[in-house]
Amino acid sequence: MNLARDIIDKQLVDRHKTKMGKVDGLILALESGKQPVVSDIEIGSITLARRIGKRAERLVRRLKRRWGAKHSQEPYRVAWRQVRDIGVDIELALDVRETPIFDWQAWLKVKLIKRIGGA
Amino acid sequence: MVREIHAELLLGRQVVALDGKAVGRIEEIIAEPKGNLLAVSEYHIGSYALMERLSASRFGRALMDFFTAGKVGQGYRIPWNRLDLSDPERPKLLCPVDQLAKLKRG
Amino acid sequence: MKKLLEISLGIVTSVGGYLEIGSIATSAEAGAAFGFQLLWALVLGTVCIIVLVEMSGRFAAVSHHTISDAIRERFGFNFFVLPLIVTVLLNLMVLAAEIGGVALAGEFATGIGYQWWAIPAGIVVWLLLWKGTFGLIEKGVALLGLVTLVFVIAAAKLGPDWPELARSVVPSLPQHDGSRYWFLAASILGATISPYLFLFYSSGAIEDRWDESYLWANRAIAGIGMIFGGVIAASVLIIAALVLRPAGIHEITDYHQLPLLLTSVFGFFGLVLFIASLAVACLGAALEIALQQAYLVAQGFGWNWGKDLRPGQAPGFSLVYTVSVMLAAIPMALGIDPLDLTMFSMALTAASLPLTILPFIFLMNDKRFVKEHTNGRLGNLAVLLIIALGCVLAIVTIPLQLFGG
Repeated sequence: MNLARDIIDKQLVDRHKTKMGKVDGLILALESGKQPVVSDIEIGSITLARRIGKRAERLVRRLKRRWGAKHSQEPYRVAWRQVRDIGVDIELALDVRETPIFDWQAWLKVKLIKRIGGA
Repeated sequence: MVREIHAELLLGRQVVALDGKAVGRIEEIIAEPKGNLLAVSEYHIGSYALMERLSASRFGRALMDFFTAGKVGQGYRIPWNRLDLSDPERPKLLCPVDQLAKLKRG
Repeated sequence: MKKLLEISLGIVTSVGGYLEIGSIATSAEAGAAFGFQLLWALVLGTVCIIVLVEMSGRFAAVSHHTISDAIRERFGFNFFVLPLIVTVLLNLMVLAAEIGGVALAGEFATGIGYQWWAIPAGIVVWLLLWKGTFGLIEKGVALLGLVTLVFVIAAAKLGPDWPELARSVVPSLPQHDGSRYWFLAASILGATISPYLFLFYSSGAIEDRWDESYLWANRAIAGIGMIFGGVIAASVLIIAALVLRPAGIHEITDYHQLPLLLTSVFGFFGLVLFIASLAVACLGAALEIALQQAYLVAQGFGWNWGKDLRPGQAPGFSLVYTVSVMLAAIPMALGIDPLDLTMFSMALTAASLPLTILPFIFLMNDKRFVKEHTNGRLGNLAVLLIIALGCVLAIVTIPLQLFGG
C-alpha cells in the first residue's frame, strides 16, 4: 500500500458513509529495531497547518486558543484499526456523531444558524 | 521506547547519504500488512518517485517524461531499516547509495 | 424518457446560466470596437469550455468525486492550497462583479444608483441560497435565464451579414489598436472559460446524483448547452457591432450604454427585456459562484457538503457562501465601477487558467477515479492545447491589461 498515494489526503467516511474530513495526517509508531507501524489517522486544521509550515501551525494554534473549544486544542486521532475499507474513500468503522469532528460545526449551528432560523 | 512521527511531514524531506550528499526527497512510503498491523516496508525517494506518484497512468508518465526529458533524477527504494529517522526533519541513509535498489522506469 | 427530461433540463440550465456580466461586457466591448472580427475568440472559448465541462461531468459521474475534491486527494494538500487560494480570491472578484450586474439592473429600472442596490442584491442571493434547494435554484434560474434568448432574437432581427459572420469565425489580425484587440480576445476567453463553470458543473453532477449511466446525457448537456450559450454571447457581440459601432460608440466607457443593445431594436420594451436579462443572468451566476466557493472549501477540507442539506446539517458550507456573498457585496456598495471590475476579473481569470486546468490532464487519465472512462488521445490533446492557451494568456494578460485595458 502506498501511503502518500492511497491514504494521505483521501476522503474519510464513517460507517454510514457520511463524509468526515480527509486524512490530514498519518502517525507512524517507531520502536528502535522494529518496523515503523501506522498507528493513527490525524484530522484537523492544526495538522494541515503544520504541513504548510511551523508559522502556519503556530497561527492556527493561536486562533484555536482564542476561539476554539477546550477539547479541540489538539488534532483528532482515529486509531488505524478503525479502518474498514480502503477504496476511493477510506471507510471507518465508527460513527462520526460519536466523535468531536463536527463539534465546531455544531457550535456554529447553535450560535448562528439557530438564531437566523434555517435549521 | 516508542516515538511517533508524522508520515505526511516526511513526504518531501531530503534524504542525506553517509557522506552528507543529498540523495533525493521522500516521495512515497510503502507499507504492508503484518498480522493485523500495517507496517512500513520501504521509502521511495528521488524525482522519479514523485513522477510515479503523480502519474497513475501511462499517459501521465509519458507526459512527465516528455516535459522532464532526462533531467529527472534517479529514484531509489530504501528499506525501512536503512533510514535513520531519529531526526525526522533530516532523514539519513544508513547504507551506501550503491546498495540501494533503483526504481524501475516504465 | 426520464433521462430525456433531465437532459433537456440540463441543457436549459447551461443555456440560461451561460450569460453573465462577464460575457455581456466582453462581447459588447468586442463588438463595439472591432465589429464581428473577434467572433473567433468566442468560438474558441466555447469549444474549450465544452471540452472542460464534459470532462468535469464525466469525472464526477464515474468517480463520485468532484474535480476540486480530487485535486487535493491526488496531489496532496500542499499543492491544493495554491489553486484553492487563487480560485477563492478570483471567485470573490467575479462574484462582486455579478452582484454589480444585478445592482446595475436595479439602477436601470429605477434610476437609483447601483451602489444602493448592492446590499439588497447580496441579500437576495444569500436568501435564495439559504432557503432554496439545489434543484430549485438550478431549475428556477435556468428557466428564468431563457429570457436572455432575447439577444438572439434581436441579433437575428438586425440581419447581420452572414458571410461576414462566417469569415469572422476564423482568427484574423487587427487593423488597428493591436493591444486592445488582443486584450479583448483574452478577456473573452477569460469570460467564456470560467473555472467556476466547470467546477460547479462537477459539483452539480454529484448533487444530481449522476452515475455512469449519465455519460451520454453529460455529453449532450455539455455540448448543446454550451453551444446555445455561446450563440447568446455571440448575439451580444453582433448587436454591439451593428448598433453601437455605427453610432460611433467604439468603447463602452459608461455602463449606461449597455441597454442600447436592446432598446435600439425593441424600444422601451427592449429596456425592460434588458433589465430582466441582466438581472436574471447575473443573479444566476452569483448563485453559482457563491455555491462553488462553498463547494471548493468544503470539498478541499473534507467537510460534509451539499446544497440540499439544510444549513444546520452543513454549517461550514453555509458559512462559506454567507461570508463570500457579504464580502462580494462590498465593492459595489463602495461605488467601484461594475464594468471596470468585470473586465479586470475576466482578464485575471484568463491568466489563472493554467493552474486550474493542469490537474485535468492527470485526473482524467487516472483509472482509480474515472475507471475505464479515461480521456482518449483526442481528449488529452484538447486539454493540452487548452493548457497551452492558458499559459499564453497567463503571460500576456497582465501586460495587455496595462496597455489595452
